[in-house]
Amino acid sequence: MLRFIVRRLLGAIPVLLGLSVILFLFLRLLPGGGPAEAILGQHATPELVAQISHTQGFDQPLYVQYFDYIGRLLQGDFGSSFIDGRSVVDSFLVRFPGTVELTIGALIFAVGIGIPLGRLAARHPNSWLDGIVTVISLFGISIPVFVLGYTMAFVFSVQLHWLPDVGQLDPRLDIPAVTHFSVVDAILAGDWHVVDALSHLVLPSIALGSIPLAVITRITRASVIDVSNEDYVRTARAKGLTDRRVNSRHIMRNAWLPVTTVIGLQTGQLLAGAVLTETVFTWNGVGSWVVTSIQNHDYVVVQSLILIFAVIFLTVNLIVDVGYAFLNPRIRYS
Amino acid sequence: MKRLASILAIAALVASACTSSSTTPAPVSGGTLVVGLDGDMVFADPSLVSDGNSLYVAAQVIQGLVGLKPGTISEIIPVLATDLPTVSADGKTYTFKLRTGVKFHDGSDFNAAAVKFNYDRWQAYTKGDLQDNAYYYGAVFGGFGTDSNVATVAAPDPTTVVFTFKTPQSNFLISQTLQVFGIQSPTALQKDKADTTPLKDNKYAQGQGESMVGTGPFMFKDWTPADHATVVKNPNYWDAANAAKVDQITFKPMGDSTAKLQALQSGSIDLAQTISPADVATAKSSSLSIIDRGQSCNLGYLGLNQSVGGTPTIYANKDVRLAIAQAVNKQGYIDAFYAGQGKVPQSWLPAATTGFKAEAMPAYDVTKAKASLTTAALTADQLKVDLYYPSNVVRPYMPDPKALATAIASDLQAVGFTVNLKTEDWHGGYVKDATTGNLPMFLFGWTCDWAGADNFLYTAWFGYQGGKPNAQFGWSNDQANALMLKALQEPTVDAANADWGQVQDLLAADMPTVPIVNSTPPGAFTSKVKGFVGSGNAIEYFNTVTLTK
Repeated sequence: MLRFIVRRLLGAIPVLLGLSVILFLFLRLLPGGGPAEAILGQHATPELVAQISHTQGFDQPLYVQYFDYIGRLLQGDFGSSFIDGRSVVDSFLVRFPGTVELTIGALIFAVGIGIPLGRLAARHPNSWLDGIVTVISLFGISIPVFVLGYTMAFVFSVQLHWLPDVGQLDPRLDIPAVTHFSVVDAILAGDWHVVDALSHLVLPSIALGSIPLAVITRITRASVIDVSNEDYVRTARAKGLTDRRVNSRHIMRNAWLPVTTVIGLQTGQLLAGAVLTETVFTWNGVGSWVVTSIQNHDYVVVQSLILIFAVIFLTVNLIVDVGYAFLNPRIRYS
Repeated sequence: MKRLASILAIAALVASACTSSSTTPAPVSGGTLVVGLDGDMVFADPSLVSDGNSLYVAAQVIQGLVGLKPGTISEIIPVLATDLPTVSADGKTYTFKLRTGVKFHDGSDFNAAAVKFNYDRWQAYTKGDLQDNAYYYGAVFGGFGTDSNVATVAAPDPTTVVFTFKTPQSNFLISQTLQVFGIQSPTALQKDKADTTPLKDNKYAQGQGESMVGTGPFMFKDWTPADHATVVKNPNYWDAANAAKVDQITFKPMGDSTAKLQALQSGSIDLAQTISPADVATAKSSSLSIIDRGQSCNLGYLGLNQSVGGTPTIYANKDVRLAIAQAVNKQGYIDAFYAGQGKVPQSWLPAATTGFKAEAMPAYDVTKAKASLTTAALTADQLKVDLYYPSNVVRPYMPDPKALATAIASDLQAVGFTVNLKTEDWHGGYVKDATTGNLPMFLFGWTCDWAGADNFLYTAWFGYQGGKPNAQFGWSNDQANALMLKALQEPTVDAANADWGQVQDLLAADMPTVPIVNSTPPGAFTSKVKGFVGSGNAIEYFNTVTLTK
């Protein structure tokens, strides 16, 4: 197992290097101006653009810029934004906690509802109950996230005033940002502010979790139906085991495998940020940061962020693969 | 049964969370005002920014020698000076008398030495990060170091500051109303090494400690990038009559207009710096108040480039430009796309700008437009034109570029043009292509830095660059350029305004571009907010604001 993990980690190095080259070239081939134009805004005269491009090194040959970037990266320096001068790592540490919280919220929603729904549908295949679950799944996967987000914000915030629709915490509560995990900061602030933090998580988590919910529901249903038709399940029933025992010991234990894979993949995607959800709910995460940085041609930020996302994605996949071995002792990696 | 009990317990927990969050806490001693900003700040040192969001926050904290009367865009009032300066006859020396008893937020004294320290600091900005970001100092004074037009800033006594210029500078006073020229505490600037480069290591500029230490009614408290910036009431404000009434303001960056409107409706924010004109009707029906911004400080226009890639275009023909100016129904656009929040321009400047002169601009007249086009004697092929508009952007002077371009195209077709609408991404090439002269006919605009004629006519559009006409329009007029250079160096504002008036006469006679609108971008606030005064340049002060339950 250890050899497998080491091999996977070593295999990631050429992937990341290749990705860095592609990203570097691709970003610079984007049409339009460069970061100098973004810094100057409406004041971007050709003279000023040339001056800033020179002082900031944007006019250096591409290979010089690339090796400069990689050289600093190998020393652990992810660079800094051309626009606000802020270190990518510092900004990441401020924004990533928001993305992690939203991912956890969305997964709790998607897994917590998706798996029971999938099991319910699988136990009554082709029934009206199965039909309802299918409709819910299709609804989750087909409705655009921003439509769902705006609609929920309108109903639950604007009309009913039940749940907040902006950010991670009520700005009027003045909770200090210590860890940038809003729930943790709220707990540290005491006075039951954690309730405020959790209530801010509800709508964005549902909006972001709607697609994973649909996927997990469908996969759980298919997987449970698949396993239910296996000979060993029939044997277990023939032995007179209770329905509950058959479900928990024989069906679900085996049905977990594909579901785990899907949850792992969804987690990797969610951790790379949710642009639309973050925009609709003014959520301070990494998704909207990537978009703004691309628009501003803030090359260093985009390059570093996508590399970080790649590392996260590879790590989550590795964890899922390793987790497989624990879920299914028949699987051995070599 | 157990499962049902669990579900009920969870439901109860969620309900309690909901109830708790929906209860608006009673304001305590002034309360917290939550303002939705259009975007995040860039730096917490105002001398290093040129974006509206940073300046909006800085306006509450930092004060200069002079400022603008609230609600106006060009009425200059003394702020940290006791009066407007006395100016020498040759226009090269400005003498300010300063207020006494004013303290910075860190408790240090405001005096002439502090003013001198700040101006000397900006002039000495080194090449690289500092000069690259301190756009305004370079633009106003012609550069840094020895390139700057500032010869000396002297502090002969604690309450007197004397500015001496190498050549007279008619825009000096109005340009100093910008927050970037606000005076910060020398003690704090030195203690926190505010001139550190690279800026990623500059804690003062990054707002990660003591930053933005000024003399205003609010004091900088903290800034979590992309999340919020907070300022708190200054309990020792020097002007007790105009001290802040709310305890705290939290500025929340919110780029999405729909999210902003819903946040106002739900009460999550109290005031939105801007909302989309398309949302004005909804906002009004939701009992929100629309910010009255009165005097516009921008101009949206139809750009006509007379030479693209060295080849003359049909817009080099004055009759074609005139025909287009007569063909466009400006008032119709304002009614349709600006929710009525704008005026038809009477010149190339907003009406409240210093140096404005009303001109007889061509009125919407299809018959006259057709006649002008006939005089221009274009071939059928030449009448086929491209009109560019930007995508993925909303500007104060252009809230719906595609709709505006479509309406203009329709009006131009009505007089005989065949218009092909084209678009480019604002960030992905439009700005660059327009400003480097690659677009023949295009929508664009300018938001004032300060409400002076020089800022629009010279800086934004018609000043020669490197001795050549601005490539954006290819409008060559040596007389206008000479007049603008003369106006910039006039010893008095009145003399400069006379020159700017002549420049506008030349523009009206030649119609190099077609001004479309002077808009006043709408913002909105909830019924809790009282005493807010809007301004057309979006520099607004919150010290007068109170919150009600």
